[in-house]
Amino acid sequence: MLSTLIRRELLDNLMTFRFIATVVIMLLLVVANTFVLIKDYDRRLASYNAAVNANHERMQERTTYSSVSISWDVVRPPNLLSIFNVGLDKRLSNEIFVFYGFVPTLWDGQVHGSTNPLLNLFSSIDIVFIFEVVLSLMALIFAYDALAGERERGTLRLVLTHPVSRAKILLAKYISAMMCLLVPLLMSFLLVVILLTTSPIVSLKVDDFLRIGGIVLSSIAYLSIFYLIGLLISVITRRTSTALMLAMFVWGFLVLVYPNVILVAITSAESSQERLVPAFNQIEQIWEEFDRERKDYLANDPIPGEDSHLGVAGGSGFDEIWHKAKSTLLYTYLAISYVNKLDDEFEPRVPHVQNYYRTIVPKTIDAAERAWLVRKQALESVFFRPAIVDRIFLRFSPVGMYDAATQAWAGTDLFGLRDFYEATRKYRRTLIDYLYDKNAFGDRKWFSSDKGAVDWDSSPQFSFQRSDVHVSAKRALPDLLLMLMVNLILFWGIFFVFHRSEV
Amino acid sequence: MIWHITKRELYDNLNSLRFALTTVLLFVLMLINAVIHVQEHPERMQKYHDATTASVSALRSRTDLFGIAQEGPGNLYKKPSSLYFCEEGGDIFLPDYAYGISRVQIANNLRAFWSLYYPGAFPNVFNIRPDTVKVDWGFVIGYVLSLIAILFTFDSISSERERGTLRLMLANSVPRHTVLIGKFLGALVSISIPFTLAILMNLLVISMSRDIDLGTDVWIRLCIIFIISILYLCLFIALGLFVSSSVQNSVASLVILLLTWCVFVVFVPSTLASIASGFSNPMTYDEYFKRRNQDIKDLTEEYVALLQETRGLPNKKIQIDSEYVAKGTEQEERLAQEQLTQQIAQIQLARSVTRISPVTLMQHLLEVFVGTGFERHQQFLENVQRYAREYREFVVDMDRADPDSLHIIGVREGMSKKPISPESIPTFEDTISLSRDFNTATIDLFLLILFFVVLMSGTYLRFIRVEV
Repeated sequence: MLSTLIRRELLDNLMTFRFIATVVIMLLLVVANTFVLIKDYDRRLASYNAAVNANHERMQERTTYSSVSISWDVVRPPNLLSIFNVGLDKRLSNEIFVFYGFVPTLWDGQVHGSTNPLLNLFSSIDIVFIFEVVLSLMALIFAYDALAGERERGTLRLVLTHPVSRAKILLAKYISAMMCLLVPLLMSFLLVVILLTTSPIVSLKVDDFLRIGGIVLSSIAYLSIFYLIGLLISVITRRTSTALMLAMFVWGFLVLVYPNVILVAITSAESSQERLVPAFNQIEQIWEEFDRERKDYLANDPIPGEDSHLGVAGGSGFDEIWHKAKSTLLYTYLAISYVNKLDDEFEPRVPHVQNYYRTIVPKTIDAAERAWLVRKQALESVFFRPAIVDRIFLRFSPVGMYDAATQAWAGTDLFGLRDFYEATRKYRRTLIDYLYDKNAFGDRKWFSSDKGAVDWDSSPQFSFQRSDVHVSAKRALPDLLLMLMVNLILFWGIFFVFHRSEV
Repeated sequence: MIWHITKRELYDNLNSLRFALTTVLLFVLMLINAVIHVQEHPERMQKYHDATTASVSALRSRTDLFGIAQEGPGNLYKKPSSLYFCEEGGDIFLPDYAYGISRVQIANNLRAFWSLYYPGAFPNVFNIRPDTVKVDWGFVIGYVLSLIAILFTFDSISSERERGTLRLMLANSVPRHTVLIGKFLGALVSISIPFTLAILMNLLVISMSRDIDLGTDVWIRLCIIFIISILYLCLFIALGLFVSSSVQNSVASLVILLLTWCVFVVFVPSTLASIASGFSNPMTYDEYFKRRNQDIKDLTEEYVALLQETRGLPNKKIQIDSEYVAKGTEQEERLAQEQLTQQIAQIQLARSVTRISPVTLMQHLLEVFVGTGFERHQQFLENVQRYAREYREFVVDMDRADPDSLHIIGVREGMSKKPISPESIPTFEDTISLSRDFNTATIDLFLLILFFVVLMSGTYLRFIRVEV
């Protein structure tokens, strides 16, 4: 009996104008945007490669250990799956400089490869956005008259005169409509994947396919939520025209209005200054203490004066910078020496300079690490927590859940990007270990290249891989489960109302 | 007779669910908009005020002509619009200042004069909060109101035809165009009522706030904005009637309308803009810096080579110094200008392509009259460039007025050493003019009216030939 019902519904749906029109428009949008997005990805990839090469060249030019430490720029590769959901991938800083004197985080980065910042005037679209808008609309159009229409026409009464349970009717309607709605969804995904595989610049790996599978799964759950919302409206209202109006307004509210309004409505006026200022003072103290130790050392060593470079080469080829940014709690001390010729009169001083750096650089690293502990906590509470709270509020609309789940699968969510900064911090540790291994701080090459330049061939290279697919799955799981739960609640609600309603 | 039909439509609508939902939705959105504006605007004005005061006092702290000529005017700020709540126009993505400082070191003792720089705005680089569209009038009108217009009109003809009431009505001696106009006006009035009330409530909240002063010029602009939004509303009502009269059943009509709406309102602006901006490749920042460094290096080499010849000839050295200061300044300004021109050309192309979408047309118009967005930014840049000329002329005039000066601009020894009174230095004033705004708005306004006329006559032609 169930299969008969499903077959009837399926035929009813597939032959309609609304079905064909939506499929055609949807596919057109997907194809047009996929082309644009692949081109954009291509451009970003080219700019990434250019930046990597430029950084490598810059590094080779550096002749002393201390001077290269300002050129260890690492670059974030663009994420291929940002085509599906761009998330924060295009937006956040994508180049960061790694230096032993501070622990890098998101707010220390910068942007490379930007041609025209004014282009941000136009919002960018990704594949998931198309689904968000068109699929949800389509699901509601399919659902609004599913029950109200049959009731109006009286066919519902006719069907119920047969020995069919109401649950079966609901299930048949749900299954057949979902089967119909899956057609455009799967066709679109297939099209995108075909376009991606035929494009010469993109190579999809198994990992990518698994993630795309996750995105498909989330899309189905999202679609189902909207279908069930439509069905619920259809059960509650008596007339199709009312059902349609209500469905359209619910759609407008959930998709268009709520995600844009809620964040401005909840934004609290609480200032972040209260949390930032004490943290900054604490960090300042750490560095001032470091500076005192440094100056003590300079005062007590056999060379007169408190000169940071101990008078070697008369000061040329030496830079000393205190770098501070209150709003992001950046505080660091850079001492870069790139002397390339030492006069004989300075030769006796060289061991002293070596001793100085051997003592001071580890102290700098230590101060940086202690400052990081304070900084991390403050940044977490000032920037991360509000961002997380915002995302929780967004999840009251299915759009928010869907967006969060697909971003997690694509690896373009906040946590996916945090992995990159985590990787830069790890890279910094590797570099410091490398310098220790080479005994670089006490080396003559730390500050001077008069007896030969540093050879960088064996230095560790940075590479960033998106976290494994199971990590992404773990991040996407809460949202996926949330969507399933909403589905079940809606289904139960529909069943409850339908069971008690008169036909 | 028109009024009969209009009135009937109106009464029908006033009792309907959609009217109630529309009213609630518009009021809530407009209220949120007003509250946010009241909270944010004084802060924005204060920031602008502080910034300009700081930059003017820095300007007036100098008294020697050479210093004034070399260091330049510093930061020049864009004045925020007091109608920010109507249309934000992507203002956060546009830099709110330009600056003129001296940055080019030609040789050890020689620095070029100031030149204009146009910084980019990267507001999102450190922003980890989710993306949202600003809820301004532009959003409410562009997206919400157009959707509402569709929901009010999709069944106005097709459902009457389905029920057979259309045949009944036409059986009376009512001309068809009267029916059409009656229906049009009915829909227009029934949406305009909640919309106008919501706008008035919004303006009431804003004008009651003590910290915000709207000014008189603003009310004219608000009237224009209101007229534009009604025109935009008419366009979508006409679209609704057109589809409704061409399609047999109302569900099909709604599906077509919603898909058209999605394509033209949601997708066309971004997709076409992305495609169009792919056609040109402005200079990247890397290229810019590479070229700049190369230019400065070339200039320095030329200068140093020339300097060898002038050893022992102080007068000739002054001449050459002056010449290279001028060259350095000019080349620096030209490069920055070139980059800016390329960027603006790219945006302009993309903006003109997206004019296919009525929502973009409406937003462009709103931007122009509100004084935000891209057109306004260009106006600001023009103001900045005019001021830069004024400032340079001021230096030349001051120098010419001093008989003791050698009139060799670019070197301290060649210029007037008389102290300059701080008040006489020109300061930057960012202005907006309504007449210029009308000029920039003509094309968009024309296109919007054209779309409306085409749709309306299409509807008319459809409707008079339709079988009932």
